[in-house]
Amino acid sequence: MPALSGFLWLISYWLIGEVVIYFTGLPVSSGVIGMLLLCATLALYGRVPSSIAAAAQPLIALLAMLIMPGVVGVFFIIGELAGQWTAILIALVAGTLLSVVTTLWLLKRLIGQSYDR
Amino acid sequence: MTADLSLLELLTATPLFAVGLTLVAYLLGNRLFQRLKRPSWLPAILIAALLLAGALALIGLPYPIYQQGAIWLTVLLGPATVALGMPLYQQLPRIVELWRPLAICLPIAATLAAFYALAIAWLLGSSDTILASIAAKSVTAPIAIGITEQLGGKVALLMGALLITGVITIPCVSIAARLLHIDDERLIGFALGLNGHAIGTVRAFEISPAAGAFASLGMSLTGIFTAILLPLAWRLLGMSSGYA
Repeated sequence: MPALSGFLWLISYWLIGEVVIYFTGLPVSSGVIGMLLLCATLALYGRVPSSIAAAAQPLIALLAMLIMPGVVGVFFIIGELAGQWTAILIALVAGTLLSVVTTLWLLKRLIGQSYDR
Repeated sequence: MTADLSLLELLTATPLFAVGLTLVAYLLGNRLFQRLKRPSWLPAILIAALLLAGALALIGLPYPIYQQGAIWLTVLLGPATVALGMPLYQQLPRIVELWRPLAICLPIAATLAAFYALAIAWLLGSSDTILASIAAKSVTAPIAIGITEQLGGKVALLMGALLITGVITIPCVSIAARLLHIDDERLIGFALGLNGHAIGTVRAFEISPAAGAFASLGMSLTGIFTAILLPLAWRLLGMSSGYA
């Protein structure tokens, strides 16, 4: 059962993340701490054990499904925010477009510069 | 009528009904997405979410009861986030190559990702609660929920803002990349993860493993940075409005 032991590793790293947050009070989720710790461990180990790959690959592929139950909640507060939705939608759509353009433009300039040197 | 009600109660007695419903919506959403020739303006997750919401409304299952059962799936979000450490490690050499531009870009871009939307919503007269709910719109769900609770926003509205932001990020990135003549998968991936959190990251993995790893990096760094920035900014704003 390589996938099962890989899954146990992932759960353990998540739990370690919880412990780290408990003692440090960092405003970050334990998943992110676990991810950084897993990356650091793999870098020290030098390769990805097949058990971790067997558990990680299917989970990553399912990421979109795992956020679906939370996301659906928005359809049930549509009525609550009647009249506010136009402003929210414009802010989200225009804000995201602006920030995507800024991000890519910034990256292009910064990376163009480092290539020139 | 009472017979129908008790049947629904019987089915929802275990989480299996909610889990099954989610799986059906997800698989159907993906099938439809393939059938429609993978439109970039209508990602599979949006189709699936619409199907799921429609199904819940149709059978009259209250959202909180569904949510309780679906915890069996959402709890996996933790280990799934940890799993992103694997592609991150595999692309580490390519990330180290670009560490300087990424380190400069991240704080500016992550600040602006929140700022643009907040400024527009504020100009359009949105209430404080709405501003607090959409501030973490580009942050991955587990971190964003914590931030929103801290700011005093509504988590359900945040989740909606996450969906809209994630979905809209995908066409925005392809338009912006074309305008700026960018075809580097690493940059496209980073922009997808930074702005579009998990939904953008899923899209980046469809482009290539390298794009996916850069998206995971962008997503996690944005999450960490925003989690520190927003509560601080809110405290400062709260103080200035207190003086006024």
